[in-house]
Amino acid sequence: MSDLDRAIEQLRACRLIPESQVRELCYKARELLIEEGNVVSVDAPVTICGDIHGQFHDLMELFRVGGDVPDTNYLFMGDFVDRGFYSLESFLLLLCLKVRYPDRMTLIRGNHESRQITTVYGFYDECIRKYGSANVWRYCCEVFDYLALGAIVLGASSELEPTASSANDTTQSTMPIDDGELETEVLNSHGEVTMSTYRPRLRSSSNISTDSRNISPPRDISAAPGQPGMPVRSGAPGTGASADGNGSATTSRTGAVLCVHGGLSPVIDSVDKIRLIDRKQEVPHEGAMCDLLWSDPDEIEGWGLSPRGAGFLFGGDIVKQFNHINGLSLVARAHQLVMEGYKEMFDGGIVTVWSAPNYCYRCGNVAAILELGEDTSSGGTVSRSNGDYGRSNGILGGDAANRVVSPGRRYRVFEAAAQDTRGMPAKKPVADYFLVS
Amino acid sequence: MTSLPANVVPVGHATVSPEAKAPRSISINGFRISTQKLPILKAEPIEEMTNKLGIAPPEMIFGDNFVAIEHEKSDWAIQFNALDALDLVDKTGESMLQVAYSREWQQSREKTHEGIKEVVKPFDWSYSTDYKGTLHPNAPPFEKTTKPIPVELLKRPDPILFFDEVVLYEDELADNGIAMLSCKIRVMPGRLLLLSRFFMRLDNVLVRLRDTRVYVDFETREVIREYQSRECEYEKVRQTLAATRDDIPAFMRDPNQLSEVLPVVGKHSERVVLDG
Repeated sequence: MSDLDRAIEQLRACRLIPESQVRELCYKARELLIEEGNVVSVDAPVTICGDIHGQFHDLMELFRVGGDVPDTNYLFMGDFVDRGFYSLESFLLLLCLKVRYPDRMTLIRGNHESRQITTVYGFYDECIRKYGSANVWRYCCEVFDYLALGAIVLGASSELEPTASSANDTTQSTMPIDDGELETEVLNSHGEVTMSTYRPRLRSSSNISTDSRNISPPRDISAAPGQPGMPVRSGAPGTGASADGNGSATTSRTGAVLCVHGGLSPVIDSVDKIRLIDRKQEVPHEGAMCDLLWSDPDEIEGWGLSPRGAGFLFGGDIVKQFNHINGLSLVARAHQLVMEGYKEMFDGGIVTVWSAPNYCYRCGNVAAILELGEDTSSGGTVSRSNGDYGRSNGILGGDAANRVVSPGRRYRVFEAAAQDTRGMPAKKPVADYFLVS
Repeated sequence: MTSLPANVVPVGHATVSPEAKAPRSISINGFRISTQKLPILKAEPIEEMTNKLGIAPPEMIFGDNFVAIEHEKSDWAIQFNALDALDLVDKTGESMLQVAYSREWQQSREKTHEGIKEVVKPFDWSYSTDYKGTLHPNAPPFEKTTKPIPVELLKRPDPILFFDEVVLYEDELADNGIAMLSCKIRVMPGRLLLLSRFFMRLDNVLVRLRDTRVYVDFETREVIREYQSRECEYEKVRQTLAATRDDIPAFMRDPNQLSEVLPVVGKHSERVVLDG
């Protein structure tokens, strides 16, 4: 057994590795990460995860629900550290797995992977407390500077393979239509399907836009009611541009998926522009790199300034346009707590994935991970090289080539790890004789 | 994401645990005290609350939580809940704060993005509230008083029959600090004390504490409500502490310690004696 495998075993048991080993690990990780572009290409199948925030036992629960590394190919969208009690164990384990299985583990940077934020929100204090000095914190921060800013998932299938599940009465589901394809599925932590949605199968390019059998539920599963369902996505209106040829991320029939911690930036109109950023630095307070890690989608039109006086908000039209220009079908991001673990917005153009259940050990929320399956039907269109990948091969031609279908999305929802596995007592309020405070 | 880091949560901080069955209550001398603690709201109730309030609620919104004290005989009741507290937050943006690096951020944007000027739905995103609880509509009114809450009686080690701590809302101010409204209550055989505290720290800008204390004497049925507001610029607090302490970051996260150094900027007391 190699040192690395031993370290993985030790960290899995929530036991820290010696400082010298952390140093070596961080050095190796940097060597690996420096070779990655700002936007890493990842082939489906892949499981996309949101914020972890040092909730180690919940990360173990995530692996239990989503499958172990390297059997499952993982993509973590940042915010590994701060808030929780075990930022060190969580981040070092993920880093070990990255070094051990570089092609099965993708880590991108969150806004908490920064010197400034970690000194305020717990990771720095944890390093001092557990290692007695700031050395380990420094090694980790150096790794943060090399983390990629985003990832592009290629070759995802538009249709999910239905999960074999004992159909029970509580399952909410639209009836599978004659030739409908399974678009989304929500599973609980026992692997039981709790919800599924279908969309009409694409039959030929000529009747896509005239398909009136609008019987699948709104794409925005968790959105406000009253929004008309949009079972079929036609080309983005108004732009007249086609997604193939000049897009930076195309494609088989299913559009590519951009994964980023926060969101879009007004200075970034194409994925290629993200590639031009000099990322090897502390997260700046402004500019494209800052936006990618900090911005939020909102129910607005166009771009807006956050009331806080810093930070951008972007509306559905921005997402639609960005996806269209770049041949994307979906932006997956993390960064915001959502009670249900995931939240699709803007007709499914963007999804927030949140993977820290019972956040801060007191919110009572569930968490989710997003699985994208592999498209086995369009073999050969996906290039495996890093940074230069397949353009449209023209097979679809005509209208169909303009139409980007979103990937089938399987959400696995899970709860916080059982109290007894977490190595600390359940917190109960302790009666105290408070007076002034 | 973005509060109080979990590892520096003060002892006794309210949590949502599976065994927190709701609501809990105790009745004593005609008074009924109850608390409820449930997880944060789901998307749909958040939507409803957003529509009711006209502003986006904090990201951790414990909309089902409450602390209530009722005296049935006199129709008097006071309840602390998130919706009513948030309804008192400035919704116009008049008292809007800006994060520390706002100027720097906006200057860098002036050149590149003159088009984006509109602040989306301006409001007091620090969720500062001067909430003092929601009174029953028929409750006999409070009158101004100078009578203080009898601290000496509260210092006695009387047995605590009921204790709870309930978070109503919390926001991490997009990783620029914390805003949190929480209540704690302890019930002794002869009296009770409730403390509702709004704590807001905007890093490198401002620290704010707004406390409402409700004291009830079960024998005399006297109720005293005291409101106290403390506030200071962040840098001033930091400088005051710099001379004497080396754990300033931890200190700045602890409202209990901060309350000892923040100057009082507003204070008033009211009382009412309920019919027996």
